Amino acid sequence: MEPFDLFSMRESYNRQQIMLCFNGPISRSLIEEIGNALRNYLAADHAHPSSAMDVFGVYIELTQNIRHYAQQKGWTETDASATVVVARNDAGHYVVSAGNIIEQADGEALLACIDELAGLDKAALKARYKEQLRKPREAEAASGAGLGLIDIARKSSAPLQGSLRQLTDGRAFVRLRAEI
Amino acid sequence: MSNFSIPGSQSTPAIDGDWDHGTLSMQGDSYPENSYELFQQVFSWVERFLLEAGRPLTLELRLLYLNTSSIKAMMDILDLLEEAHHDGKPVAVNWRYDPRNERVAELAEEFKEDCTFPFAIVALDSAASAS
Repeated sequence: MEPFDLFSMRESYNRQQIMLCFNGPISRSLIEEIGNALRNYLAADHAHPSSAMDVFGVYIELTQNIRHYAQQKGWTETDASATVVVARNDAGHYVVSAGNIIEQADGEALLACIDELAGLDKAALKARYKEQLRKPREAEAASGAGLGLIDIARKSSAPLQGSLRQLTDGRAFVRLRAEI
Repeated sequence: MSNFSIPGSQSTPAIDGDWDHGTLSMQGDSYPENSYELFQQVFSWVERFLLEAGRPLTLELRLLYLNTSSIKAMMDILDLLEEAHHDGKPVAVNWRYDPRNERVAELAEEFKEDCTFPFAIVALDSAASAS
């Protein structure tokens, strides 16, 4: 095995202004611990309390969605793997990206949902959010990440972006990106 | 009847139900993975109080960040209060927040929109809330 070039990893993270990144199986307690670290970084970065709460909220919804999805599918803990990156872009906005393995068909439905949300303004997103909030729990579970996605869209300053990379066995890697 | 208390944790609020005083207080963050499990106990307590106590009920809230499943659970609890209010039972919510974080006030406002009973959103004195 090649030795890891930690220095070039560091250079690349610094260049891309990555504050925090994680790759691997994600447990309930790991979500909390990374979330804690994220809050500390945001405080050290002098993020406004509202903006820090939005970034934290987007991170929580994205990662909990990944775990809920794997649980719904009856997948193992290892399958509940997530790739999470929190960075700043050149405009100084925080960007939260999260990726995970998903069934191709679910991934396509998720992207369709993101596209639809992208066309909604703040007022329409709020109406959609309240409507989804009133749906029975079973309907919410069946539709996947409904409420969480709308919540993320509402906290974002730009439309959510998503992409899908096809893998084998009808599975794909889905990536969601939210700019706060 | 019975008091009810759940200590807070990093991801769950401290919850206290005082039967004699007719108050239910919740404070802190709420983002457990399974909010339903946690809030089901709160829901049952509120439901029983409204049915049996024959006294006013006040929710004293100092909640901060809520994940979407906690928001859904809170809405169910507020719906119980709304129903009681329509039956002529006195219920109220006092939601206190640190004015440095307007997101909390916005969250409280969105809950308030769906309630017709007394719902106060109170900015804490910044000297008192500084920590």
